[in-house]
Amino acid sequence: MADDIKILVVDDEPVVIKSCKRILEAEGYNIDGASGGREAIIAMEQKPYDFVITDLKMPEVDGITLIKWIKKSRPETGVLIITGYPSQETIKDALELGIIDYVPKPFTPVVLMDVVARAIEWKQKSVPAEAKKKEEEFPPSMMAELDRMISSYRDKPGSLIPVLQRAQEIVGYLPPIVQKRISKGLNIPAAEVHGVVSFYSFFTMQPRGDHIIKVCLGTACYVKGIDEVLDKIKENLHIGVGEITEDRKFSLEAVRCLGACGLAPVMVIDHDTHSAVTPKKVMQIIDEYRTVGAKA
Amino acid sequence: MSEQQRVSLMVCAGTGCVSAGSLKIKEAIEDELKKRSLEKEIGIVLTGCNGLCAGGPVIAVYPDEIFYQKLRPEDIPHLVEEHFVKGRPVQKLMYKMPAKRKAIPVMSEIPFFKHQVLRALRNKGLIDPEKIEEYIARDGYMAAAKALTEMTPGEIIKVVKDSGIRGRGGAGFPTGLKWEFCAKVQSGTKFMLCNGDEGDPGAFMDRSIMEADPHAVIEGMIIGARAIGANMGYIYVRAEYPLAVKRLQMAIDAATEAGLLGKNILDSGFDFNLEIYLGAGAFVCGEETALMRSIEGKRGMPRPRPPFPAHKGLWEKPSVLNNVETLANISPIILHGAEWYRNLGTEKSPGTKVFALTGAVNNVGLVEVPMGIPLRTIINDIGGGIKGRGRKFKAVQMGGPSGGCIPESLIDIPVTYEDVVKTGAIMGSGGMVVMDNNNCMVGMAKFFLEFTAEESCGKCPPCRVGTKIMLDILTDISEGRGKEGDIETLEDLSHDIIATSLCGLGQTAPNPVLTTIRYFRDEYESHIKDRWCKAGICRELCSFHIIEELCKGCGACLRGCPSKAIVGEKKKPHRIIQDLCVRCRSCYDTCKFNSIKVLPAGFEGEPSELVETAAAAKSGKGAAE
Repeated sequence: MADDIKILVVDDEPVVIKSCKRILEAEGYNIDGASGGREAIIAMEQKPYDFVITDLKMPEVDGITLIKWIKKSRPETGVLIITGYPSQETIKDALELGIIDYVPKPFTPVVLMDVVARAIEWKQKSVPAEAKKKEEEFPPSMMAELDRMISSYRDKPGSLIPVLQRAQEIVGYLPPIVQKRISKGLNIPAAEVHGVVSFYSFFTMQPRGDHIIKVCLGTACYVKGIDEVLDKIKENLHIGVGEITEDRKFSLEAVRCLGACGLAPVMVIDHDTHSAVTPKKVMQIIDEYRTVGAKA
Repeated sequence: MSEQQRVSLMVCAGTGCVSAGSLKIKEAIEDELKKRSLEKEIGIVLTGCNGLCAGGPVIAVYPDEIFYQKLRPEDIPHLVEEHFVKGRPVQKLMYKMPAKRKAIPVMSEIPFFKHQVLRALRNKGLIDPEKIEEYIARDGYMAAAKALTEMTPGEIIKVVKDSGIRGRGGAGFPTGLKWEFCAKVQSGTKFMLCNGDEGDPGAFMDRSIMEADPHAVIEGMIIGARAIGANMGYIYVRAEYPLAVKRLQMAIDAATEAGLLGKNILDSGFDFNLEIYLGAGAFVCGEETALMRSIEGKRGMPRPRPPFPAHKGLWEKPSVLNNVETLANISPIILHGAEWYRNLGTEKSPGTKVFALTGAVNNVGLVEVPMGIPLRTIINDIGGGIKGRGRKFKAVQMGGPSGGCIPESLIDIPVTYEDVVKTGAIMGSGGMVVMDNNNCMVGMAKFFLEFTAEESCGKCPPCRVGTKIMLDILTDISEGRGKEGDIETLEDLSHDIIATSLCGLGQTAPNPVLTTIRYFRDEYESHIKDRWCKAGICRELCSFHIIEELCKGCGACLRGCPSKAIVGEKKKPHRIIQDLCVRCRSCYDTCKFNSIKVLPAGFEGEPSELVETAAAAKSGKGAAE
């Protein structure tokens, strides 16, 4: 476990690097050293690190600049700082940049080991959150399109729902970041935007798969056994309604009557309507979409 | 249709037929016609829903009205050769009565069509909905022209009022009266709205009208707008109906182009603009005040009335909201008069009504019938009776989650607003779901409560909390935790919810429960007391048994059993190992000899008891009924 973890120690005093190396390598971590901010960036461009432990006060490229660069270019790397001047000011700046913790200088081996161990634990817990955050970064072109669309509705009364519908078309779903943008663009409180998003079943805050499976839960479909079809899908794809498969191929939605009761039980995948679906047939139909790319 | 075409082929492009492959049929016909150089003589039109969805893909050949169904691309060369070259219609592709061999060639003689009278659906299967010229050719926009140039708003309202037409969305409020209320209010701004948020599960009338004849809706709105003095209108459509949205938009564009919408329509000095507003999936938005909130871009929650929308509606301005089918009826009323409209139907329920007939009948589809027609005629003659050997009619559900189940003993009632209400169901928007003896009524009530509990907007507690408590009780009953007194609790709760809910959603939500208790109380009791779901639907409350005397040992059930719970040698009676059985019903549905019976959960009777059950089964009073 520990030998998977790569740590870069950055300090202009070689002795600090040396002692960190000695203490942490004994714990099984992989340790590299860099004598300043510039060297650290060069090292990080060569290979990925799980953590960087850096001094703040260094000549040329200092610690704060390095942390800013890491947050921008290597956001997956966790940052710890060592500082001989744990003044409120510098620590506050660093904390605001999103460091995990700090090690006061001089330090004992126990303190260093403890801080590193806690940082690892913290990072493992927060991995999903981090990954989620990454998803919410959308290409600037998409955001620009979103903003253009929002501003075209700005002065129209009652435009929130159409804007949300268009936004969902553009982005695919409505994460908080998109809702905030709409709130700002239309000058409507974010709470109201969220209230509308959560009220209507058409809107989703979850990303969707390449293919969207919609299962009709209308009366005619119910009478003809759609619930068994739905169970079969859930069982085979290992997802519930409103969820997305791990490989992001499919998302499963239950919809109110599709108005195609003559075809009951009905399932719609992307834009194709499948009629008279049976538990036996359903996975065969779904599997046909596996090889097909995402819908246009 | 141009002059030199001798034949017109109406290919149904409704949702049902398209998914059954009607567009491929159209291509195949085009290819064949080209091969034989007939493409100039024979025209092809893609129409909206023809109605007989069960037969899809369907085509109708005019002028002879020959009707073909269940076509496959490989049938087409033969069909074109025989019918269009040799002039001999192809019998084997025609409609046949269930259980009868004789083909019925002419559409109007098929029972499904014979009993229907088309008013709202007057252009069904006859025009290309994407071409305004075809609508105009069938007297389209004549009524709007008449209303705008020859009639005063007061005269329009009088005709609609005299016709007695009632709102087709469900509650049945007289349309003319609604218009009159709004017309009387003095206001610079008024709105004419159309409710296309068809949310009842099991209903697709409005969808079919919007897809098959979008101009009929627009024309109705123009006339209504003129009557109440509105210059702006919205059609609120579910986002789940993309084809309807597309066709309505095309129709609005074409009508605007033709000067039938916009400024100074037909030089009458009257302006009317129309926009589509997409719903976002909330059943409660079918309620008028909620729908208006939704157009304002807010959470679609109802508010108490009064003030009624006729005084304070959309953006606090006087507004009228009409259902799609109601609006489609307006132009014939204006054109032919109130008397003409009243020549069908009854005194209090004049005219016709469109129903979406689905469920356990042979001919599922869209039908329009005169009001007052017996329910039995709709189910047995138009619907062609119950589908499947050995299946029997049990109940028909009308009015969706706000309606109720009507049992066999009441199947002869005339279909009118008043008579349907007496049964505990409601006319509703026109969903008609037929159930056979394989449907469990407790399960049915639970299905609708799941729907209303989920769709309750949460504003008023009787609906929000009440439906949830009722659902919990129903879930307990269907999973074997039912107890004495549950039925009475359900009834008490129902009455409280009906009396105290804010809007129609809550006020009608208990109807499915109340009607099933009223007509199928024994079924509830056998769930609670005997742990026995006789239809074999509630898995915790049934077990499946093979009656030796009836089993022929064909092995069909054995092959189909997913948990390998059936054992037996060929041609000898089989047996179900109860511990392995997952009660999926597949054997029950497979068995051709009716030898599998549904008995209470954990039934471990003696063979003699089983024989008794078998004897009862033979005499027609089986355990499964």
